[in-house]
This record gives sequence, C-alpha cells and structure tokens, in this order.
Amino acid sequence: MPKKYHIHPKLMPLNLNSLFKFKIERGENCINCGKCTKVCIYEAHKRGKDDPRKMADPNTMVCRNCFRCIQECPRGALEKSLDKDFLNIGGSYWKSDIFITLWKQAEDGKVPVTGAGYRGPFTGDGFDSMWTDMSEIVRPTRDGIHGREYISTSVELGRKLNHLTFGDKGQLLSQIHPTVDVPIPIIFDIPLDNLSPNVKMAQVKAAAELNTFIVLPVKEITPKIGKYINNIIVLLTPEEIDKHQGLIKNARIVALEYTGKLEKQLPALKDKIKKAGNALTIIRVPVTKSVEGIVSRLAQGGAEIIHIVADYHGREIPESAGESYRIIKDIIRAVHLKLVDDRIRDEVTIIASGGIAMAEHVPKAMLCGADLTAIDLPLLIALGARIYEEPEKIIVLPDGLEKITVKTVKQRMINLMSAWHSQLLEVMGAMGIREARRLRGETGRAIFFEEIDNETFGKLFKKRETKNV
Amino acid sequence: MKPSTVKIKKMPSRFKHQVPKYKVVRSSACISCGTCAEACPHGVHERTEGHNKVKPPIDYKCIGFECQNNDFYCVAKCPRKALSLTVNPMYETLGDYRWTADMITATWIMAETGYPPERKDLEYNTGNSGGGFDKLRLKFPAGRPKIDKFEISTEIPLNRRNDGRAEIVISTPVYGGGMSFGSVSLPTMVSKARNATIWNTFTCTGEGGYPEVLEPYDNHVITQVATGLFGVREETIQRVKIVEFKYAQGAKPGLGGHLLGEKNTASVARMREAVKGTSLFSPFPFHSVYSIEDHKKHIDWIKEINPHALVSVKVSTPNDVDMVAVGSYYAGAHIIHIDGGYGGTGAAPDIAKKNIAMPIEYAITKVHNFLKDEGARDAITLIASGGIRSAHDLVKAICLGADGAVIGTAEMVSLECVRCGNCESGRGCARGIASTDSELADLFNEEWATQRLTNMYHAWNIQLVEILQKFGMKSVRELVGRTDLLEHIDYSE
Ligand code: SF4
Ligand code: SF4
Ligand code: SF4
Ligand code: SF4
Repeated sequence: MPKKYHIHPKLMPLNLNSLFKFKIERGENCINCGKCTKVCIYEAHKRGKDDPRKMADPNTMVCRNCFRCIQECPRGALEKSLDKDFLNIGGSYWKSDIFITLWKQAEDGKVPVTGAGYRGPFTGDGFDSMWTDMSEIVRPTRDGIHGREYISTSVELGRKLNHLTFGDKGQLLSQIHPTVDVPIPIIFDIPLDNLSPNVKMAQVKAAAELNTFIVLPVKEITPKIGKYINNIIVLLTPEEIDKHQGLIKNARIVALEYTGKLEKQLPALKDKIKKAGNALTIIRVPVTKSVEGIVSRLAQGGAEIIHIVADYHGREIPESAGESYRIIKDIIRAVHLKLVDDRIRDEVTIIASGGIAMAEHVPKAMLCGADLTAIDLPLLIALGARIYEEPEKIIVLPDGLEKITVKTVKQRMINLMSAWHSQLLEVMGAMGIREARRLRGETGRAIFFEEIDNETFGKLFKKRETKNV
Repeated sequence: MKPSTVKIKKMPSRFKHQVPKYKVVRSSACISCGTCAEACPHGVHERTEGHNKVKPPIDYKCIGFECQNNDFYCVAKCPRKALSLTVNPMYETLGDYRWTADMITATWIMAETGYPPERKDLEYNTGNSGGGFDKLRLKFPAGRPKIDKFEISTEIPLNRRNDGRAEIVISTPVYGGGMSFGSVSLPTMVSKARNATIWNTFTCTGEGGYPEVLEPYDNHVITQVATGLFGVREETIQRVKIVEFKYAQGAKPGLGGHLLGEKNTASVARMREAVKGTSLFSPFPFHSVYSIEDHKKHIDWIKEINPHALVSVKVSTPNDVDMVAVGSYYAGAHIIHIDGGYGGTGAAPDIAKKNIAMPIEYAITKVHNFLKDEGARDAITLIASGGIRSAHDLVKAICLGADGAVIGTAEMVSLECVRCGNCESGRGCARGIASTDSELADLFNEEWATQRLTNMYHAWNIQLVEILQKFGMKSVRELVGRTDLLEHIDYSE
C-alpha cells in the first residue's frame, strides 16, 4: 500500500483588497451608544481609535450577516446591503459565491462547513444537475479526513493494455507501457500569460509540493523553473521537439496541441519523443462538436493521454457564432461513452478541463468519465483574482499581488488543494469508493437530474396529461 | 387532543427592530407638519408630543406597495412630496434560494401571531429554488368547500404494525427534528419538548444524550441511537415511547456527525460521557451494521430493552433508499424517516449538503411507490424531512406519499434564526439558538421560545386544515399519495 498522501495547510491570510458579501453602513443618526459593539460577536463594530467617543466605520469584511446590530441599534442607524462588487463579479457560471468560498479555502485550507441547511438552487446547468450517491447500510467503512482507514485519491496517467498476452510457458509477452502516478486527480493547466514572476514561480512550486503537474509552454521553462521538471508537463509544438531534446529527456510528460495534421503524424512524433527519453505524451484537444470522434481516432492511433479542453465556463467552443453548445458534464460523458463503445476506454487516460470551479466538480467530472481534471482559474481566485463573464471575459488580478512572497502565494494554492482534497475524501467516503481511479465513469454512483426526474415526476405528471388528451 | 384547544398568545420578536422589507425615506423637503404621523395606522411615522421633528420612519412596520390603495398612504398624503417608498436593499441580505426572505418573514409572523400573515405581499408557500416543491402546485377543485373545518382531523397514527406496541397517535402530522444538546442550547431543546407536549406530538433529542430536564416531557421525546452512541443507556431507551436509529442525516449523508471541540463544553461533555473540549465524531456508518440482518438485530435489541417503544429508522436519500425502506420494514421498524439533503440544522460540509444523495421530493416518491409495490405501505409510517419549510411543503410531501414530516429549520426560524449559517463557528449562534455559550444561550427564555413554536405549529395546522377543507377531505390521512392533486409546472403543458 502506498504511503498515505497528506497536504499540509497553513493559515495564510492575504492582505489584498478582497471580496466581501455584506456591506454594513452606519447612518448619520448614530448616537455612538456602543450597543452594536456589544452585540456583534464578530467584532465588526468598534469605537474609533483616535476618538473613542465616536464609532469607527464598521469593519464590514467580518460581518457574518447575523442581523443583531441591525435589529438592536436603538436608532435603527445601521444598514446592510449586498456589496456592489460582490453583485457584479462573475457571471452565470462563475457565481459570486464561488469567489468567496475559494478565497476562504485558500485562507485556511479547510473544508467549508456551515449550519442551517443548503441554500442554493434545486438544480442548475452542468455539474449542478447531478448528485453523487452514497450507500446507507451495506458499504465499506469510510475514512474521510479522520484517518481511520485508507482512501487513495491517486490516479494513473498513461496507456494501459486491454489485455495481457502470455507465451506458452506462461511468460508475459505484452509490453507494459510506462505510466505516471499523480496523488490527486488534479493538475494545473497552462497559467495565464500576464502573471507576475512570483505567481508563476509559486504555481510551479505548489505543483511540485503537491507532487502533481503543471502544464507549461516550453518558452516558460527557464533554468530556474526547469529545476521542477519532475512536475512540469512540457507543452510544445511538433516542430519544437527537435530543438528541446534535452528538456524532453528529463520530462516525465510532454503535451502537444491537437491539429488536423497531428492525427497522421502521431506515431512518428511519439517515436521522436520516446527517442529523447521516457516522457509520456498528452494530446490537448479543444472541445468542439466533433471532439468525441477526434478523441476516439487519437486513441485508436495510439495516444496515451488525451486532454479535452473546454472554455473557461465549461462550454464547447462553437464552430460558428450563435450555435448551441454542450457543457463540460455532457461533453465528458459523450467522450467517455464513445470510447466505451469503441472498446478502447480502458486504454487511454482522459483529462478534462474548462469550468472546473469547485471541489465537487472534480469527483463529478470523474463520475462522468474523466480520469482526472485540470484547473487554472481557481488557483488565481485563491489569490483574489476576479473574473467577469459579461460582456466579455475579463480577469482582474488584485493590485499588489506581484509584491507578495512566493511562499505566501504558493501556500494559498496548497491550501486550496488541501481543502479540495479533503472534500474529495468526504465525497468518496460517502460513496464508499476507496480508490479515485474507480470513480471514472462510475455512473452507478451518480444521480442525474434528468433521469431521476423522469423516473419519478415524469411518470406521475405525464400520465395525467395523456389522460387529458 | 384537538388542535383548536391549543392556546395562542402573541409573542413578539426579542429585538427592537425587525428586518424590514421596505424602505421609507423622508427627504430634506420635510417641514415636520406631522401629516404622515397622523395618517399611518401602522406606526411607521412617529412624532413624540412636544417635539418639532418627526422621527425617522420605522421601516419594518410599513406594509409596502399595497398601501398605495389606502387613503392614508403617506407618500401621497405628504404635502411636500418628501416621502418615498422602495424595497429595502437590506431585504436582499436575508434568506436564500430555498428560504426566501418572504418565507422567513412569514414564518416569523406565524411564530409571533399564531396565524399565517394577513399581508398579501409575502410569497411564503414556495421558495425560489427552481425545483422540487417549488415547482409543484396544489390543484384545488372549483366550488365551495362543503366540509366544516371542525370535522377535519389532522391526526396520524405512528404504529401501523398491529404488534401490540404503543398505539401512538399524534395530533398534527409534524414533529420536531433531532437537534442534539451541544449543537443547540438547552432552552432550545426544552422549548421544543414543551411545544411537542402541547401539540401532542414529538421532538427528538438528536444524538447528544438525554438531558434530565426533559424528563417531564418523556412521552413526547424520541431518543436517538446514532453511531457515536453518545449518552445512550438502557434507562434512556426505557424512558421514551419512540427510539430512533439514525443511520445518516440528509445534510451530510455518509459523513457521520461531528461536534467541534469548542462546542463540547463541560455540560455537553458530561451528557455525552466524553472529554470536554475534544471534537466528537459519530462515525459513519454503524460499524455493526453491514446488512439488513444486522439492522434487524439492532431493532430487536431496542425492542427487547423497551417492550412498548416504537422504532423509527432515519436514513438519508441515496439511490437505493427505497430498498433500505423496505428492508427496515422487514426488520421490524414502525417508522421510516427519510431525510433529504436540503434541511439539517447542524453544521455540515457545504459539499455534502449540495451534492450528496437525492432531493427529498424524489425520495418520497420512490419510497412510497416501492413500499406499495411490496405490499408494505400500510404497515409502516413514512416520515419525510430535509427541506419541509412551509405548510404547503408539508401538504406536497404528503401528496407525494409521506404520512407526515419532521421539521427542523422551520422551528429554528420561528425562534428567529436568520439562516446565516454560522452555527458552528466560534462561539456559535450569535442569536442564541444553536449555541451552548452561556451568555448567548441566555438570549431567550423557554416561555418565549415555547410559545413561538406553538404559534408556528398552529399557523401550519390552520393552513393544513384549510387545504384539506378545499380538497373536501375529513382527514389528512386521505391526502397520502394523492399525486393527482399536484401539478408540476414543468409538466403542465
Ligand atoms: S448601536 Fe446604533 S446608535 Fe449605537 S453606536 Fe451602534 S450604530 Fe450608533
Ligand atoms: S449583522 Fe451581525 S455580524 Fe454583521 S455587523 Fe451586524 S452584528 Fe456584526
Ligand atoms: S407628511 Fe411629509 S412633510 Fe409632513 S412630516 Fe411627514 S414627511 Fe414631513
Ligand atoms: S447561527 Fe445563524 S443559521 Fe445558525 S441558528 Fe443561529 S441564526 Fe440560525
């Protein structure tokens, strides 16, 4: 049994302008009686530092929305509203609450816990239209985060054999392909272009500390960064392969972008890479209408690892404007099922990315059929990045981020992954699944909205309609 | 017990102000003529005798835009056009998709007055979740109801096995959910028990042991046997009429229970027979139950210790919840209590609440139908919980196939919970509901809390009776499984 995987979170506040949800304002009619100071157990209300006769401005950041100051101020002088920044941030996919929860996880590395039930909508698009299953009585015991038993979150990358062939003396004839293990089913995808050096470095170091991977374009791999080659997936074009033989030799994984030509070139390119060293090859396929066909052909053609890349809100990239699009959950299912139909699913590794925004998306993507996921934006949200979807995608990094130490930035990314890892354990524990690799395509452990709704309400209410007809 | 004999008493908020839906602003154009103060019968504007200036408007008393039709509408009456009326931005900070601000406000009014709100501006029958109960509507028949309200019974029996055990009948098809001592304060627990006694129904201890102060209410208390077995003893099992096995809870299916060290105060630790200040875990699942046969052994064990008690089995809502329910029937349970993921008062990981197991609406349907197919439906009581927020939710759950419901959050909201979700952080609930911090727990007394709960149950019962009357039914038992009385807005075209 492999060693138990641990991530070490550390409290790591970041004193940059951060997002908050509730805004408290004190009106003119305040009489400085100090009642609010007494009733707010989160210490949002304090007297002025310079003049203790007067109340200081409320520290609205710490407000937890308990309404006590509002209800108890003798003058009704306090007002509370949803902060404008909070209301504006994100969009239909990156909901404003996601920013707050990821920020908090980056702060303390803990699983977000709240009381008083679930607050969100019944279902939504994509991953919000499925639930993970659990098992009530007959099931393996769980371990979760409390360490009573072993749950492995590690997954394997690489080509697997469909079956083994043995010679007549029982000797193994098949050649086993090399594989690479990652201890969490999450790798870091290509970072944004305009990141400051400290953030870039921190991302690489975080990937190394987690013992996962970060995908980096070859031009980004400076000698300083190259030290972490063990945890870098080298992204290059077919033309660059010759030039970077040295780098490829040390790399464990390289990645190529899919082009129409690549399908034919693949065997030759793989040979070239193999000649340089032992690196496995990922083919990155942008998600379009024809993605499952492409993935299937690549798999038949010997691809080891295929990374399907949807856009930042998990959508298929439409071939022409205004066309309808599928979303990541359905895309992964389609790709997975196509490979199952073609009887080749077990032989390749599928990485899915685009719209992986919260911890729950990782096991859900896997239940839909991915082997693992890749993320980029959540790592930046951990640092206070703001995304705006409308009218067009904008990503804003907080001022002063470039001056934060690499250590702090790295720790916040580690914290986020620690929280996600713990949440993955929670979900797996509830499912009674002890190995992350068994999550892949395990739809028996998923409940899909359309299916369950059809099976229950569909039966109840459609019947009535036909009666009416 | 007749619900009509329950005593209702006005029990206002503990706080000076309530959360306003509207905002009334008086601009600097005001000349303090006092017209508005005289006009408004709801007391929004006040001018103290001898003062020149009118006090700032008291927003929460304002009845909102419907006032436009009144001749006392202050905005229209003000000679200086100094007044304006808008929705208060604060209102947006109250509530969420499931429990909307209107629903919380309405529940507060019910807890205060004992009746559904008279105001017309609150949508409190459905929430905003966009699915499940919120997409189901009741289909009332046309025509005048022919049944006298006083003939309508809201009683349901809990023992349908005919096995010689206690024939328990509760007067309203609702009882209080398990909230353990430690996760809520003692006054909260006692108030729940007192209310359960008044309503001839039940409350549940949760898994945190059985506080002595509940003794006078023993006949209305369900004690829980959960995986942690905290505070479970033969005496506690012998004291009660119903014992509940908690396999899982909807808010965190498959995750067991967890009480943070900070909340494990000296008194909590004593009750749970644990060490103060340590975090306490209830494992998942029962490490002695890996099959229905094991499950039966546990039920037999309880039945042996208490020969009169009914046994309830509480499970969450995985895909195979229907099998578990039938298994529990064969194992000898009297009540199968299914707990969906949207409720839960205690702290739970957000990821679990949102993602694990199916919504209660589906589970009720599945379990009811499967029990029917197995011929077991009439011999077991099906109780639903986890997302029953209003009398309408209760009725819908019954139409889908439940016999009754367990409520938790609605009780908390009656006690002025604002659903801020901070129950587990630091000192616990700032409003003294889910807190064992002595200063915070003293925020309200049992008298107040009991009456608020009683009032809320009363308001629900009134609504239930009205609905039954409209359907022409004499008993809530006629409503069970009547999906033909529901329509689903997605399927209605
Ligand atoms: S309670 Fe109200 S009046 Fe008193 S200090 Fe606070 S804001 Fe001012
Ligand atoms: S609403 Fe509660 S948490 Fe927020 S400032 Fe007022 S008392 Fe503090
Ligand atoms: S009626 Fe208008 S002018 Fe007169 S006191 Fe009221 S707000 Fe002021
Ligand atoms: S902390 Fe908030 S959600 Fe929890 S009981 Fe108190 S008011 Fe309700």
